[in-house]
Amino acid sequence: MTWLRVFIYRLRGLFLKQRLEQELDEEIRAHLEMQIEDHLRQGMSPEAARYEALRKFGGVEQVKESYRDRRSLAIVDSTLQDLRYALRSLRRSPVFTAVALLTLALGIGANTAIFSVVNGVILRPLGYPKPEQLMYLSTRFSGFGIMRHPVSPPEYFEFREFNRSFADVGAYLTGEVNLTAGDRALRVRSATVDGHLLSALAIQPEQGRLFAGGETYVSGPWFPGHAPPPPAIVILSHELWQTAFGGQPIVGKAVEVDGRRCEVVGIMPPGADIMDNRAEIWLPLGLNPANRQFRGYHVLNLVGRLKDGVTMQAAQTELNALVETWGERVGVTVMDGAFAPLGQPFAHNLQMEPMQDVILGGAGRSIWVLQAAVGFVLLIACANLANLLLARAETRHREFAVRAALGASRGRLLIHLLTEALLLSIAGGSLGLFLAKVGVQTLIRAYPTSLPRMSEVTADLSVLLFTLGVSTGTGLLFGLAPFARTRLKDLATALTEGGTRGIIGPARHSIRRGLVIAEVALAVILVIGAGLLVRTVYNLTNVEAGFDRSRLVTFSITTPSMGSYTKSARAQMYQRLLDAFRAVPGVQSASAASGLPPARPRDGEDSYIDNYSSPDGDPTPSIDNYQSVMSDYFETMGIPIVQGRSFQPTDANPSGMVAIVNESLVNKFWRGQNPIGQRLRPGWAKPWFTIIGVARDVKQAGLDQKTGTELYFFVDQMSNAPSPLGRAPGTINMVLRTTLPPLALSQTIKSMVHKMDPSIPVAQLRDMDAAFAESIRRPRLLAELVGVFAGLALLLAVIGAYGVLSYMVVQRRREIGIRLALGAPRSSVLFGVMKQGLLLTTCGIFIGLVGALALNRLMASLLFGVQPSDIPTMAMAIATITLVAAIACLLPAWRASRVDPLAALKYE
Amino acid sequence: MEQQKNEVLPGTLNLMVLKTLSTLGPLHGYGIARRIEQISGNMLQLNQGTIYPALLHLEQMGWISSKWGVSENNRRAKYYSITRAGKKQLAAEEENWRRASEIMIRFLEPSGENI
Repeated sequence: MTWLRVFIYRLRGLFLKQRLEQELDEEIRAHLEMQIEDHLRQGMSPEAARYEALRKFGGVEQVKESYRDRRSLAIVDSTLQDLRYALRSLRRSPVFTAVALLTLALGIGANTAIFSVVNGVILRPLGYPKPEQLMYLSTRFSGFGIMRHPVSPPEYFEFREFNRSFADVGAYLTGEVNLTAGDRALRVRSATVDGHLLSALAIQPEQGRLFAGGETYVSGPWFPGHAPPPPAIVILSHELWQTAFGGQPIVGKAVEVDGRRCEVVGIMPPGADIMDNRAEIWLPLGLNPANRQFRGYHVLNLVGRLKDGVTMQAAQTELNALVETWGERVGVTVMDGAFAPLGQPFAHNLQMEPMQDVILGGAGRSIWVLQAAVGFVLLIACANLANLLLARAETRHREFAVRAALGASRGRLLIHLLTEALLLSIAGGSLGLFLAKVGVQTLIRAYPTSLPRMSEVTADLSVLLFTLGVSTGTGLLFGLAPFARTRLKDLATALTEGGTRGIIGPARHSIRRGLVIAEVALAVILVIGAGLLVRTVYNLTNVEAGFDRSRLVTFSITTPSMGSYTKSARAQMYQRLLDAFRAVPGVQSASAASGLPPARPRDGEDSYIDNYSSPDGDPTPSIDNYQSVMSDYFETMGIPIVQGRSFQPTDANPSGMVAIVNESLVNKFWRGQNPIGQRLRPGWAKPWFTIIGVARDVKQAGLDQKTGTELYFFVDQMSNAPSPLGRAPGTINMVLRTTLPPLALSQTIKSMVHKMDPSIPVAQLRDMDAAFAESIRRPRLLAELVGVFAGLALLLAVIGAYGVLSYMVVQRRREIGIRLALGAPRSSVLFGVMKQGLLLTTCGIFIGLVGALALNRLMASLLFGVQPSDIPTMAMAIATITLVAAIACLLPAWRASRVDPLAALKYE
Repeated sequence: MEQQKNEVLPGTLNLMVLKTLSTLGPLHGYGIARRIEQISGNMLQLNQGTIYPALLHLEQMGWISSKWGVSENNRRAKYYSITRAGKKQLAAEEENWRRASEIMIRFLEPSGENI
């Protein structure tokens, strides 16, 4: 521990410098005086006594210096001195300092902001205890290329019984419900869960309690869509409790959920969620564990928590073994829907993935692309700063020469330069941190749902450390890069070489050129990347979605599943609402559908298809989408009926069920046959549906996806049919074609729905263009952000090229003056400088192209309708950069050609 | 004839200071320097000033402590005294030196029995 004591002593020396210095003076003075007195007593003359005392003592200043060295921390002392010096010299050149700080703040700020996203979305573990134990369980239909699909109730209960690896496994559904808070009706996002899910997640309530293990289950006959109601209890999210109920005590009180009075039993802690669904209310999941039917009813999402000490690998091994024998164990064949290992015909397999991976989904690549883009921007900023520092070092050569002559060691000069660079970069980083904070807030506001876990993005300790690291790394990079080719031994020479009138060493110029080339190359890569992403968004917006999206207003309503709304009452209510809208001036037509194109969940099911035998012998091939529509749907949406007819009011009679299919379905099941009059039916329905028409394909699974098979039901008819066939969608999307500006209708819509039933909130009211924009929000986020970063990169690179060229022109002023004096035409000077600038740009472009070809392949999965090596995009990028660079070179070139030979020579 | 003076051997100054303080009790820098000169019979080439960095070092190691006081002719001076840890250190170093010098003396003795 001696070193610690010494260190503390020395630290004390650092802070008590002045007092200790005085004490040392006094001590030495006392020493000398005592010695002099002794000498005087021995009879010396006063001068001799004094001289002899000093001689015996040795050099007072040397003693003091060696005392100081021992007293304090020399390195801190000299660093402080360097810092003071650096601050002084930065203050002396405010323009340089401001430019450097701004560049750094932008570069580091952008990096910090994006790293906050990387950190919050990808790196930070989920906010549950031991989150690495949480697994998402789903089924995989290898034959249909469906990689992740929910699990059916019997499969869920069987897995709960069979497995030995999981501490608990729970199930949930997500959706939206109407919540009446006071006199307001809200549509809120719901998570319908069983107690096992909450215990697997290990969430602790903020207030009250959560659902217990089997509390949410029901007994009695259980059919999909027709089950006894679960207990009337709910849990509110902390956020909903705050916003809708003002944080007032509510546990134990009743709220109305979808028209049913439910007791609030607990409040979730802030931020509690399941699989990034931003759940606002937690409802009980009413399953009947005794019911082992409806094996094909794949609706449940499962999350399990591994037991302590059970590795993922062990659990996977157990799962594989379970799947192997599942059918025998439960007495069901693979054809009837038992799990089986992949590879068997129509087999579906139970799979397990870490929950965090499933939440991240495909977003990881997009986020890393963003991080790479801002990284490039920062590198360009570094190159610019390196150039600036280089120019500064050259204009300050005299100062360095003086300091070297006064004995400053080369190392000390280098440390001085580094101190200046680090001071700049740390200051720039602090500014950047502030910019990043603003930037992250803007990002969350502008793209709230474009990436998963966006609400968890904040600047935590790792972000701060990242910023510190990046700032320091940046400072070292641009502080040292200019001298990369100089050995330490030659540093002083390098720093002092040349003169205001001298010639700058050729090595310096080649470093400058190299930096400019690198900047242009990086900018080219970014501009091409941004170009590809912009093309992607353009292609997505121009996908033929199969209907006319102009002047279309849409919103969604949910009618309570309980209480007064029977299925026919529901359909009648929709019909009355539509009739009322049709009477509004400016509304040309109105209709409604259960799912809103162009992006909605896949909701088709296994179906029987008459006159079709599947190549693999599957009796119930899957249809991708079921769509329940009201009258006038095809007319309102502008979806052409290519064959047969659309639904008519006369079809409402349930005696002969009718359906419309899309072209893809015809091509898949009845290729080359006349589809009109063919029959099919969902797996759960007894009567056949006769096809009366074929509609043009409409995008359902997203604009970038291939259109799947689709089956249209007529709500007016279905709602009249007897149970279990009879049904009407609880949530429906209304669409209104209008001659007015779309959103002019919003007030009318709200008041008309309110008049019909005040407990029903209007949700997602917007025009169809907004629904389209929403469906491509992630590509848009990427294109917009990378676009901004590419613009920034281009700007910085051009400033860099301009700066270097201007600097070279100033350096060559005399030479240019002589050439002009000797009769060289001004145009040749102009072209000479331009040529030099464009040569650098061309080199940069070439290297950038090679880099882009190599790197953009990594983005291939993020592109749509454009190849990573798309020639037009590259040509466009090159043209843009060449043009911008030409403009940047023109100014210094023109200035060079305007040099007055006399002045240039006299200037010497 | 000019008296032959020896340089202070490295590491010995600390030992001399500690020994002085242990023998004479609290003393100021000048007193320590005088004492070392006297004991060595003025055979040592000592720059008195070098004693101050040495004192600082000993204090940092915790072997001596210092306190401002008043000298016999009423002058403010810094007095140093040896600490308990210093005494331990002194004992250890004394032993070291004794052994080292014994070895050197035996080595340099002209009697042939060891060679």
